[in-house]
Amino acid sequence: MIRIEDIHKHFGALHVLRGVSLEVTRGEVVVVVGPSGSGKSTLLRCINLLVEPDEGRVFIDGVHVNTPAIRPEWVRQQVGMVFQSFNLFTHLTALQNVTVGLIRVKDESKDAAEAKGKELLARVGLAAKENAYPAELSGGQQQRVAIARALAMDPKAILFDEPTSALDPEYIREVLDVMTALARDGMTMIVVSHEMGFAKSVATRLIFLDEGKIVEEGVPEEVFVHPKHERTRAFVSKILR
Amino acid sequence: MRRVNLDRIETILAVVVIIGVLALLGKILLGDRGLDVNYMQGIVGVFLQAAVLSVYITSMSFAIGIGIGFLVGWLRSMRTVPVGHLVRDFRIAAKEESGSAAIRNILFSLTLVWSGFKHAVRRIMDGYVELMRGTPLFVQIFFVWSVLLVYFTKIPQRDFIAVLVAMTINTGGYQGEIFRGGLQTVHSGQVEAARALGLSRWGAMRYVVLPQALRLITPPLTNEYIGLLKASSLAFYFGVRELTYYTKQEAFSGRNFEAFVLASVLYLAITFTLAKIVQRVETRYRIPGLGIQAALTRGVRRTRM
Repeated sequence: MIRIEDIHKHFGALHVLRGVSLEVTRGEVVVVVGPSGSGKSTLLRCINLLVEPDEGRVFIDGVHVNTPAIRPEWVRQQVGMVFQSFNLFTHLTALQNVTVGLIRVKDESKDAAEAKGKELLARVGLAAKENAYPAELSGGQQQRVAIARALAMDPKAILFDEPTSALDPEYIREVLDVMTALARDGMTMIVVSHEMGFAKSVATRLIFLDEGKIVEEGVPEEVFVHPKHERTRAFVSKILR
Repeated sequence: MRRVNLDRIETILAVVVIIGVLALLGKILLGDRGLDVNYMQGIVGVFLQAAVLSVYITSMSFAIGIGIGFLVGWLRSMRTVPVGHLVRDFRIAAKEESGSAAIRNILFSLTLVWSGFKHAVRRIMDGYVELMRGTPLFVQIFFVWSVLLVYFTKIPQRDFIAVLVAMTINTGGYQGEIFRGGLQTVHSGQVEAARALGLSRWGAMRYVVLPQALRLITPPLTNEYIGLLKASSLAFYFGVRELTYYTKQEAFSGRNFEAFVLASVLYLAITFTLAKIVQRVETRYRIPGLGIQAALTRGVRRTRM
């Protein structure tokens, strides 16, 4: 489904990703953890080419996508993304946020897009908020709209970049519930998150990233309870405390 | 409700005071002669036509200026890295010896050429804006006029064209600065989300950034239009028969008060109407959480609509 091979990325003098390889099969939920600055967000952005890898190859459904022959816009329609700070379009209502991609990218009719948009808002529990602007929604509600917006494009996978980190504690649950439901429905997901409860109950695999490299990966329980590497152990003890 | 009433009373008081002062001034300067209303009625038709020409020149140059301003603003809002920084980063990366040296060198060369080009374009645009803002519009019009006079003698309506071109280029520069500010104010996360959805660079601009930026820059753009309308009075010097042209003519015939009162009223009527229309439009397209109204939408009562 998604395969990346030996990816490197520099930001100026910073060597952020130092040879990361990863394969995610259909329906898998991979949770990525790691200290800040370890390259988690950059890794996600290399998959949908918001960040162009300097070296290495990215495959989506077997298609090598980080070549000039493939339009990055096409890649981004295959792989949705949900951001830490929601990034809902400020000037659009909840419904318009969900439909704008369908209308402007997929050239769907307004009616068809709205029907689908309403269905998706209902799915994330926000049917009543379709005409609200982002500023009128709570953080949790905004993030759920953002998930609906990503779902609208019928992506093959969705990338989550710390989806609950910017939320007040009381809103984290509702977002995780939506994500859990999504995972149960078989959506392929790569989630950068330190929500260990979510990782334990939903993730099929946990990846520990440090200094631009995958240090350890495995079943969440395994990595949490019996971390093999010193650095994983140190990190896990910090976030589980 | 009480605050609204106080606001009204204040406004009415201010208007009364201004009218009072003007009446007093008129009394002192005109004595018992008063304004010659018959005479004013006689020239109002010509003045109205001239005012239409003023609005026409202003609107034409303003409209083309929006296009120039948007492009200049967009180019200037792009992020560029000075060449020195690139070289420094490259040296550090080279010392780290990751990946292959050949690929690194090719990548670096491409980045250098592209960044250099972008940087140069940006600097040129900066220079254009500075030139327009830093030199008098009158001098700019004079320059264009003289160029047309010397090199393009066969153009019909040469004076009019000269003023129009100069004002367009001038307002393009000013609007370039306005657009740059507006585009940069839109959060970068908005662009990222738009791109992540599969929108192209232009699509993200057209459907996400521009709708937000336009709402933010409506007040400064309105100011620019008003400023440009007033600046269009310079056209009289080049023989363009706009409002100030006739005002000057009538004033020299001895009816200076009548002419200037009429001209002022017309200029004021235009700017006032425009301000009202813009206010309507702003209210119509206002969005919670976007722009200056953001602070007002929560808790604080609006005292004026």
